[in-house]
Amino acid sequence: MSVGASNPEYVNARVRSRRASLFADEDYRKLIRMGPSEIARFMEETEYEREINALGARFSGVDLIEYALNRNLAKHFDDLLDWSEGRLYDLVSRYLRKFDVWNLKTIIRGIYTETDSEAIQTDLIRAGELEDGTIDRLLEVDTIEDAVEVLSRTIFYEPLSDALEEFEETGALVPLENALDREFYEHLLEDISRGPGHEPQEGPEAKFVEFLQAEIDFRNARNALRLARSGADLDPATYYIEGGVLFDRADLNRLVADYDELVDHIEENKRYGDRLSGALGRLRDADSLIQFEHALDAALLEYSDTLSSIYPASVSAVLSYILAKEREVENIRAIARGREVGLDESEIEEELVIL
Amino acid sequence: MAKDVKPTRKNLMEIEDRIELSERGHGTLEKKRDGLIMEFMDILDKAQDVRGDLADDYEDAQKKINMARAMEGDVAVRGAAAALQEHPEITTESKNIMGVVVPQIESSRVSKGLDERGYGIMGTSARIDEAAEAYEDLLESIILAAEVETAMKKMLREIETTKRRVNALEFKLLPELYDGQEYIEQALEEQEREETFRLKKIKEKKEAEEKAEKEAEAAEAEAAEADQDDREDSQPDTAAQSPTANE
Repeated sequence: MSVGASNPEYVNARVRSRRASLFADEDYRKLIRMGPSEIARFMEETEYEREINALGARFSGVDLIEYALNRNLAKHFDDLLDWSEGRLYDLVSRYLRKFDVWNLKTIIRGIYTETDSEAIQTDLIRAGELEDGTIDRLLEVDTIEDAVEVLSRTIFYEPLSDALEEFEETGALVPLENALDREFYEHLLEDISRGPGHEPQEGPEAKFVEFLQAEIDFRNARNALRLARSGADLDPATYYIEGGVLFDRADLNRLVADYDELVDHIEENKRYGDRLSGALGRLRDADSLIQFEHALDAALLEYSDTLSSIYPASVSAVLSYILAKEREVENIRAIARGREVGLDESEIEEELVIL
Repeated sequence: MAKDVKPTRKNLMEIEDRIELSERGHGTLEKKRDGLIMEFMDILDKAQDVRGDLADDYEDAQKKINMARAMEGDVAVRGAAAALQEHPEITTESKNIMGVVVPQIESSRVSKGLDERGYGIMGTSARIDEAAEAYEDLLESIILAAEVETAMKKMLREIETTKRRVNALEFKLLPELYDGQEYIEQALEEQEREETFRLKKIKEKKEAEEKAEKEAEAAEAEAAEADQDDREDSQPDTAAQSPTANE
């Protein structure tokens, strides 16, 4: 609901208390030494109690942890949307659309592989803007065309309708998934920034824009590096997301052909160069992008944390909480899955992103 | 077996033919066995390499999928896997190595490009790419291992069969045939000797009979002569007593 005036003070007061209940470093240190069932029991005594108890009869082990984490995440982000009003609602909801994209991709993949709707439903994270009724109707349809029709009153209808033709030609989900992701990223900066040089220069919105630009730039950097490494015959422009400051379309087309030049380009960027220089240095010799992606995640989290300290009563603080909560969920899941598959403590610690 | 054969020349010739055939077969099978062993050793080296690669690829793939599941979540990994459109295809042909038909497995659409895996690139990460790539490599290794190890097993089975045949010829059939040949040869020689002896005996008997006959004849003749002489000695008296008797 985007009616009424923006209420960042109220939402931030609520968010601060939520933020205080996030796991601290010492909690992670305890969790790393536990097995999956001990982690579940530990979670039962924390913020995740209700979800663990609700799902305990249906799932066990790491699956229980993962589904409980997802459900808790959805509950918290849904609360954020309930509390927010006006402009704040608009800004928060457009960021939380990433969960709408997740849910739509999960449903489309489920329809594609003829998975039953109950199995699809368990994999959804209902933290986005789409209404439960719309998602329930999507779970009832049998074809992707019908699913697109169900979305007719949402922002996803147009891009999905456009991508549907290519899907029907090729039979691959790639155009549909890319259309959904692109829709999410391209709406992030809608009506805040009109491209480089036209964004707000100061105040909370300027920092907010800076953060969203970083998110877009990091996504472009990831995709460019993946394309450059894979050598796949793909048009880089198809995967370019507008709104960032790191690349323009022409840059990306040129740089994807030369991996070293691409790394140099990222390193030479004034905004991110210093922050990422260590990871970029390792990236030149490594045969994996994982560590670099890890560094991007850490940089983004650091970014959001800085923003919340500069403007504690703005949308940035809410966004910072969203990222911190997401990171907590990812860290707990990483520990539980890592313990399940027998990774040792140091290996798991390496994978965690903790501020 | 040797005693079961009738010791006839025909059987001897038959056995000699079988010996010749078996010896020739034995030589050929020995060469085949040696050839198969050499081919097998080559395949074994390859199989050992492939096994090593398979173990490495499996470990790598497991590690990467575990990391992807840990960091991206099981749901995300399953979701990306569900988006796969083109499933790998396997076709088998066969090739002949020294008479052994071994499979030749051709695979297609196993290794895929970033654009062929079905999931969107914008919303996924390098972890998913690397896990998918590691599993594609593992699948390639499994297919190669299946080909090489099936060939190896078939070769091994053929070597065993050939070895059993060579041994059966060398230690069972040929010795039995040699025994049979020797038995018939000895039996025939024995028969020959018996025949010679029998002929000799017949001859001796015949000679003895002839001799006895001759002696009997000689004795008869002698007796007749003596009888004649006796008669001639007694004739004048008889003639004087009965003149009609001489008429």
